Amino acid sequence: MRIRKRVVVLILLALSTLATAALYADFQSGYYSPTGAASLAQEAPPKLSLDGTYEVGVYPIYPPIFPSGDGAQEVKAYCNTCHSARYITTQPPLPAAVWEAEVNKMANTYGASIPDDAKQKIIQYLQTHFTPETRKKY
Amino acid sequence: MTTISRRMLLSSIGAGGAGLVLANWLGGHELAQQPRASRNVPSFTGPGANSFWNSVGPVVNEPQKAPLILLTDRPVQLETPRHYFSSTFTPTEAFYVRWHLDGIPNAVDLKEWRLRVEGSVQKPLTLSLPDLLTKFRSVSVAAVNQCSGNSRSRLQPRVAGGQWGNGAMGNALWTGVKLRDILNAAGVKSGSVEVQFQGLDTGKGPEGFGSNKFMKSLGLDNPVLDECIVAYSMNGEQLPMLNGFPVRLVVPGFFATYWMKSLTWIRVLDKSDDNFWMKTAYRIPDTPRGTTTPEDVQTGKVKTVPINRMPVRSFLISPDGSTKIPAEFPVTLRGIAFSGAGRVTKVEVSEDGARSWRVAKLGEDFGAYSFRTWEMLWTPSRPGTYQVAVRASDEKGNTQPDEPVWNPGGYLWNRSERQEFVVGSAA
Repeated sequence: MRIRKRVVVLILLALSTLATAALYADFQSGYYSPTGAASLAQEAPPKLSLDGTYEVGVYPIYPPIFPSGDGAQEVKAYCNTCHSARYITTQPPLPAAVWEAEVNKMANTYGASIPDDAKQKIIQYLQTHFTPETRKKY
Repeated sequence: MTTISRRMLLSSIGAGGAGLVLANWLGGHELAQQPRASRNVPSFTGPGANSFWNSVGPVVNEPQKAPLILLTDRPVQLETPRHYFSSTFTPTEAFYVRWHLDGIPNAVDLKEWRLRVEGSVQKPLTLSLPDLLTKFRSVSVAAVNQCSGNSRSRLQPRVAGGQWGNGAMGNALWTGVKLRDILNAAGVKSGSVEVQFQGLDTGKGPEGFGSNKFMKSLGLDNPVLDECIVAYSMNGEQLPMLNGFPVRLVVPGFFATYWMKSLTWIRVLDKSDDNFWMKTAYRIPDTPRGTTTPEDVQTGKVKTVPINRMPVRSFLISPDGSTKIPAEFPVTLRGIAFSGAGRVTKVEVSEDGARSWRVAKLGEDFGAYSFRTWEMLWTPSRPGTYQVAVRASDEKGNTQPDEPVWNPGGYLWNRSERQEFVVGSAA
């Protein structure tokens, strides 16, 4: 009787060991994968002076990727005067009429001096690359 | 004794568990999924609404700031990532940034810099930072600074402008001098109507255009003037350059367009300010909630007024929906709420897409214009996809509606927020 009980306990212990091993197989581990994601550099603290000047150095520019083509040069030359061209690439796709209105706003409301032919080229460029119909992944 | 241990053993495995385990062992059970590869947000959103909590730009380093989301680099516009809003006060280094003109200060010589009070005053003043620190009484206020265009990327149809997600806002403890104390020291002449504010930023546009100078004004009879502070301190530290060092205007309850950064000129006017930034920009339709339609704008039907107080808003901050929640797990939902009209009195949460609501517990009250934290214990009963909604009410009886807003400037968005949660099986 005692022996039978011991056998049952041993069998159950063996089963529980197997069960534990099988349970541990129910998760995954050790997968790593290389990615193309850029990392941010860690910056060192700057050297500071004792005088009255409180400065932060220069502000970084992060040039956007721009589609090449007719008008790209004009965009670079004129739109960059007051603001970076990132103002264009961060917009949602906008209808052709909205782009025309935006460029006219820059000239008329904000006083940007853009020659008429350059203005037309800029409008066409924006309509070629940045409308819901034409916008690609930039 | 043996009976007990056998029972313990059996119960520790569990009858069903033992069977399953045995099946796994015999049948070579595998997890249903392979590990997920990480995925970046797209480089732009639209023409539909931006579905992400934040805007979709890359995260970048800028002077004195934690890595923030880039909207534009010149002038600098940076958005605060969602997780920074889990506390009442937004960390200074993570506070969002929005400048209008590209000539923003890189350095300020405090030996030369003076705050000038001029125009229609009896005694023009030039005040150094130590003057402000020692010659005036210091006051503090906890107040939310929110860009007029916060959440602009939600509008349908989309409008041009900074495509902010929800992170063009922050709450800080601002310390400085009451604007009224400075105006009283200068002595406002009778017949004056407005007070104009200008900072150190300049643009490359021609003189007389909005692209040359950024200036904002408030009426001398506006009650908010009594609450304005010329702040030299933000959360107990000097202002970061990008947030308006050495002093900025704090206009509690009002949108950030009035909170002039690197404030250097306080100009009392004897006539209404007709500069571009008051007369043309930052105007909202004079309609309930400032909403209109593209058709009404087109036909010129829309009368506008300068943007002013912020409508009531609330946000669910954590968890952020990026992690699956096990069914029957009691999870604490946390977030913030605020209103430009006054104290937040109630935050409600819905687990069924705004059909039924439960009242959340509010956190400590830091005053009428501060973020107020809230939390609510939520136990999703069964696996599925849940649309959790949140809405706030303020002491003036305003409650966040479920209807969107549209206006050509992309201002005043305050629809109740939604967060989708995936609740997985766990048994």
